[in-house]
Amino acid sequence: MSTLKSVGQRIQRKDARAKLTGTALYPQDIEMENCVYGATVRSEIPHGYFTLDLTEAEKAPGVIRIFTAADVTGHNVHGVLFKDHEVLCARKVRRVGDPIAFVVAETQAQADDACALVKVSYEALPAVFDPKEAMKEGAPQVHDGKDNLIYHYKCRRGDVTKGFADSAVVIEREYVSPFVDHVFLQPESGLAYMEEDKVIVVASTQYPHFDQIEVAEAIGWELEQVVILNPVVGGAFGGREDISMQIHLALATIALGRPVKTTMAREESFYAHSKRHPVFMRLKVGAAEDGKLLALEAELHGDTGAYASWAINVMRKAGVHITGPYEIENVFVDSYSVYTNNPYAGAMRGFGATQVPVAYEQHMDILAEALGMTPYEIRMKNLFRKGSVTANGQVLTESVPLETCLEILNQAMNGGSEAAGLDAASSGTKAVPGSDSAAVQERSVTEHA
Amino acid sequence: MLKRGRGIALSWYGTGYGNGFPDYSVATVELAENGEILLRVGATEVGQGSKTIMPQVCAEVLGIHSDQVHMICEDTREFLDSGTAAASRQTYNTGNAVLKASESFKKALLEEARLYLKLNSTAGLEMADQKIWLPIFPSRKTTFAELASHLKSEGRVLAVTDSFTAQTIGMNPETGEGVPYWPYTFNAYGTEVEVDTETGRVQVLQAWCVQDVGRAINPDLVEGQIDGGFVMGLGYALYEDLGVKDGVIKNNKFAKYIIPTAMDIPTIHKYIVEDPENTAPYGAKGIGEPTMVPVAPAILNAIYDAIGIRIFELPATPDVVLKAIVADREAKAKAAVAEGADANG
Repeated sequence: MSTLKSVGQRIQRKDARAKLTGTALYPQDIEMENCVYGATVRSEIPHGYFTLDLTEAEKAPGVIRIFTAADVTGHNVHGVLFKDHEVLCARKVRRVGDPIAFVVAETQAQADDACALVKVSYEALPAVFDPKEAMKEGAPQVHDGKDNLIYHYKCRRGDVTKGFADSAVVIEREYVSPFVDHVFLQPESGLAYMEEDKVIVVASTQYPHFDQIEVAEAIGWELEQVVILNPVVGGAFGGREDISMQIHLALATIALGRPVKTTMAREESFYAHSKRHPVFMRLKVGAAEDGKLLALEAELHGDTGAYASWAINVMRKAGVHITGPYEIENVFVDSYSVYTNNPYAGAMRGFGATQVPVAYEQHMDILAEALGMTPYEIRMKNLFRKGSVTANGQVLTESVPLETCLEILNQAMNGGSEAAGLDAASSGTKAVPGSDSAAVQERSVTEHA
Repeated sequence: MLKRGRGIALSWYGTGYGNGFPDYSVATVELAENGEILLRVGATEVGQGSKTIMPQVCAEVLGIHSDQVHMICEDTREFLDSGTAAASRQTYNTGNAVLKASESFKKALLEEARLYLKLNSTAGLEMADQKIWLPIFPSRKTTFAELASHLKSEGRVLAVTDSFTAQTIGMNPETGEGVPYWPYTFNAYGTEVEVDTETGRVQVLQAWCVQDVGRAINPDLVEGQIDGGFVMGLGYALYEDLGVKDGVIKNNKFAKYIIPTAMDIPTIHKYIVEDPENTAPYGAKGIGEPTMVPVAPAILNAIYDAIGIRIFELPATPDVVLKAIVADREAKAKAAVAEGADANG
């Protein structure tokens, strides 16, 4: 019996009313007096050196100043793991969409128009767009003096050769997950202004204190002199973990002494933040006659594009989760993060753990069919329970109600007898969760259609 | 022809930074001048509901309504660094910091009440509904508001900070041995789809989402996450592709980058499974990301159940599905001809 009074209650969201009635103030809604507007010039080629000619753009109506790499007062870098992004590229671009200049004008339209007048001369370099190609000797180097391969996760458990040899069925397939965007509703928008000796940056972000560090380092100021205001966030899903325009705004307002604002159109937003890592997955799994999984081998190539962002953590998470929630004695996994000249990939809901079930859960069904089992049966045979050990040797000591989840799913989908045999998913047993299968509470399993 | 099929998928998701990286959260609970509570905690409200559930945790400890807890997470000057609102870590990690800070604050507030009520001990003091009293002598009582103005008269502010660090162990780089994440969240999702074999179009007709949550701090918000996660997973499975070619994003507008609309969303049957995790705040685990993870394979497996064809590369857009249907039909025809030739030979 729960004696909780607040926890477990269906309290209305604190932010619901303001968001629904339109009174919530997103960065784009905030206007300041004497404000000027910025727009970003972005590279049009995926890899190459460039030079800038600002003559025409500087003469354009309303243009106040054009910021380039030379105007970055601190370290011209940022990045959540490696400092491999440049605030404004100095001489080389590594992807289409790299920021190379920030034009500030009296209106947003004037800034946007002047961007088109910035002349960029490129000296194109060979580019690479496939992570497996990028790992080869002699492939174009995305970051000078740095290997394109930036991370290799290894899991070695038991003996997969023996596991496959003992298997009644071995299935090997390849799966591909593409570039995907978060498409949060609110495209990037922000403003910055001075408050005495402090620079205030207003932007939607998932992690204001980290933005504070990144802005301070790039402008070369003390941390306490940088304030991040994070009013209302219009969706994030991982796409607001990396810096987009925060540093540009801070540099500009410091230099000009006026509030500076920028708002991106959707088309630009697609280039301004990270993407879901495309992952190329080769998966080989062997099972015994009774469906027991005996060995799993996986090779995962993650394309992080031009910048690392969270590439290491994402492909680590992919490598750990590729086993699925199943007990397997023999596991051999290689997971790679690789630079290419594609749009950069980073955090997105599921973070590597979303791509891999496209492989491992289709694989379970393929195995089941080969063994003459149902999708339900093969999963029930192998799933994690309390006390299970993962491929990393981690013991799952509690709160592992997966069997309960599958039983409830099976009951729900296969409630009526007429459904039996109609579909692959619903032909399993109809057992209800036993009293010892996790402490599922009385009120806790409820359907809410 | 319209063909129906059903598919299921299980998934697991390890929350937090993981791999031995110090996953640290901190919260400050403060008595406001009007006797309400300020909860200063850097758990950004990105739509996941942190501004609703963190006050619920604090309110639970203090025996008050969560409307009387005001969370501050917008200005870096006003709260400490509690890490990113990502990795489905805020409910577990920062929720634990809020729980600990609230418990420490409760002790500190009871001590203030003891002094104010001129008692020798906090033993037996009760706290509920912004009141503190001694049941064995009920006239010894005070309120949060009274204590707040007393503190103000002495020029003091009662604010208590506490923190939580999650437990993971860095993996051996050669073998992967270690504790990459903890805790894990599990789920089992199923879908029913209809595939039009003439056009390749896939429609999801029904979905069943059975979600482990440890404990639901706010079931409405859990259901909201399931809805959102399912929709995002549906887009990932059936529509979304940036069409990157030579580094250029071809599908860079909503006319070309297709996301689900309300018309594409099926009835979603939602089941919340509670199996509290001991180290979690009231047992609650993160669910923000997990709700998306099994959606795509549950749909892909249903497509196979419907038409006997597997889609190995996402998304399963109508052209991809139709191409696979045609290729399958041709392969079968060829096989039949070959078989016929063998029979004749």
